[in-house]
Amino acid sequence: MAPPLPPRSAVSGDDGGSGLLGRYAAERATGTLRGPNGCVYLSEGAVYCVECPAVPGPDARLTAAGRLSAPSRQRAAEAAGPQRRGGRFLVEQGWLTQGELEICQLGALLDAAFFVLPLAPGSTTFTPGEVHWLGVVRSVSAAALQEATARRRALLDRLRPWAAVDQAPVVPVDPVASEGWGRSRGPGGSQGSTGAVRPAVTGRQRRLLEHADGRRTPYELAHALGQSAYLTLLDVRGLAAAGLVRLPAAPAALPRRRPGASGADRRTAAPDSAPRWHLPDPGVLETADPDIALLARLRTALEENL
Amino acid sequence: MPGIDQVLARAMGIPGVLGAGLIDWASGLTLGTAGQAPHGDHDAAAADTAEVVQAVARNATFDTAAGEGPPLEDLIITAARSYHLIRFVPTAFDSQTFLYLWLDRAQANLAIARLRLRDLAAELVTG
Repeated sequence: MAPPLPPRSAVSGDDGGSGLLGRYAAERATGTLRGPNGCVYLSEGAVYCVECPAVPGPDARLTAAGRLSAPSRQRAAEAAGPQRRGGRFLVEQGWLTQGELEICQLGALLDAAFFVLPLAPGSTTFTPGEVHWLGVVRSVSAAALQEATARRRALLDRLRPWAAVDQAPVVPVDPVASEGWGRSRGPGGSQGSTGAVRPAVTGRQRRLLEHADGRRTPYELAHALGQSAYLTLLDVRGLAAAGLVRLPAAPAALPRRRPGASGADRRTAAPDSAPRWHLPDPGVLETADPDIALLARLRTALEENL
Repeated sequence: MPGIDQVLARAMGIPGVLGAGLIDWASGLTLGTAGQAPHGDHDAAAADTAEVVQAVARNATFDTAAGEGPPLEDLIITAARSYHLIRFVPTAFDSQTFLYLWLDRAQANLAIARLRLRDLAAELVTG
């Protein structure tokens, strides 16, 4: 099914990029590379679309913003035809400007690429000739896309200590319940009675806090708001660092030592005679100080491994 | 109905312009270019200007709009021999793009360039 791969030496082209994607780009392949996290659409070796289930696509972003109705989107997909010119149809109907289509499509592509790349060689399949219904609106070279994704990774990694919030429901820290922030905001400003000022947030972060219902994860919020999943992660980690979003309790993936588990009398020991282990007060995790929050999580993890 | 390339071509008509680009600020990826770039490197200019934009976009100090309209409009860097103009593209949907203009300080009028770039950014998304 997959065409013979070019030798590695052929990958060193200017716009080839590296890895599996680089090899198909160097071969100027047209089709789709379907990996474990999503799908990369290539046209003559250039990437013109990336899809990832965790990321809202261009149509979802336009629909969420009220820029494109669901029936219009459906009509465009049907009108795309074998030439796959759904994007051109959207512009010809006057539903979008060419600039909107291009920017939205490139934004969704970059967002999805962050989660889809790099493609794992063992679990990626190539389907030659497969095309996206939007068609080739604009494309990006594989190498430039890989560099852009690496820069996004570096930016997110600056907030690595708060990565625990990525997969957990976003729970805003109650400004009234949390100690340290001002309990009331006087007319003179946000200085509270305790003297501490609740950190200010950006418009993007404020919107996230407004929609965080304590149940939805950052990915679910990104879908609900039709916005970038990558920036949602960045913003939620930033909120956690500022102490405005609760860090989830210590990850359950850590192996827990059960008291008495290694003892010879394991089977005879009554469950309630085992010493009780106290997890730290969850309130500690709501501290405003990111360093203390991190230390609290470390302590929890260490105590569980005693 | 202008696309990225048409808007960048029009940006090259702004008096004193040396080069123009459309850039994604979350990654520094060049989405389109026209004319020249400082040191002849459009990609480096995109990555460097994106870093400036990130520093502004992530800090609440520069966001006092309280949700009324786009929080940021433009960033202006005045340098010894040039102006660097950054204009956020006001899309209805979520996006992270800005227009970048590199201007010759001896030829350009900063106020005019800023207004022209504002209009071009709006044209990109309203036709």
